[in-house]
Amino acid sequence: MKWLITQIRKEEWSPYIAGILLGVMGVLAVALSDNLLGASGAFENLAGLIGKAIAPKIFNTLYFNFVMPPGITWGVVLLIGVFFGGMLGAWSSGTFKLRWNDDLQWKRVFGPQIWKRAMIAFVGAIILEYGAGIAGGCTSGLAISGGMLLAPAAFIFIAGMFVSGIATALITYGRRY
Amino acid sequence: MTNYIIALFLGVFFGLSLNKAGLTKYNKIVNVFRLTDLAVLKFMMTALVVSMIGLYALRGLGVITFPNVPATYIAGNLIGGLIFGVGMALTGY
Repeated sequence: MKWLITQIRKEEWSPYIAGILLGVMGVLAVALSDNLLGASGAFENLAGLIGKAIAPKIFNTLYFNFVMPPGITWGVVLLIGVFFGGMLGAWSSGTFKLRWNDDLQWKRVFGPQIWKRAMIAFVGAIILEYGAGIAGGCTSGLAISGGMLLAPAAFIFIAGMFVSGIATALITYGRRY
Repeated sequence: MTNYIIALFLGVFFGLSLNKAGLTKYNKIVNVFRLTDLAVLKFMMTALVVSMIGLYALRGLGVITFPNVPATYIAGNLIGGLIFGVGMALTGY
């Protein structure tokens, strides 16, 4: 029992163990509520909700009416859980801390400026969410949840993601790659 | 309502597994694209294999039916994936 607790409190688990945990959650999501795990869709549901409140005309599109209807969906609640789950993980390993930019690798390559980190993260996140919107899911919603149902879409998506991810890292890291 | 409680419960463990696999860290995500640390890939593929086996076994036993399988439209999936990868490598989230 004591051994188990020390294992759980470790900051980093073996990716295989963490992967098994996520895999079981993926099965439970289908078995218990007939849903797929996913993250990016929830942001679009929320964006639709906010957008329709602020500028209903602009958001009165096919996409926000039918493809991604706004509202507090299953995925949004899941995302709230993810937030607290991540917090629980950090708390259990004693690394819970508010941070702006303390990643050593980032600092070494791009410098310690917080605004730079925030700006690149902001722009990158827009690109990322836009890509997820076109593809119909993100790493969790399409690659893992689609992959476990053996949807061809998932594997096409993973291939695309790695091609451009590697290319982007090559460009941004340059000789430091 | 029960559905939302299940979502919250699954979400907590989803987040926990992401955190413990180190996927909440910038260097983990970007290093998989630099091919120096394949933890993200190991994590994803393990999850994939476990849930694949679980789902197909449960469907074979007739316990569950599959929800809507994500649609395949090759150009969209591929272009979306290409755009997504750029964002992922930039932000590291």
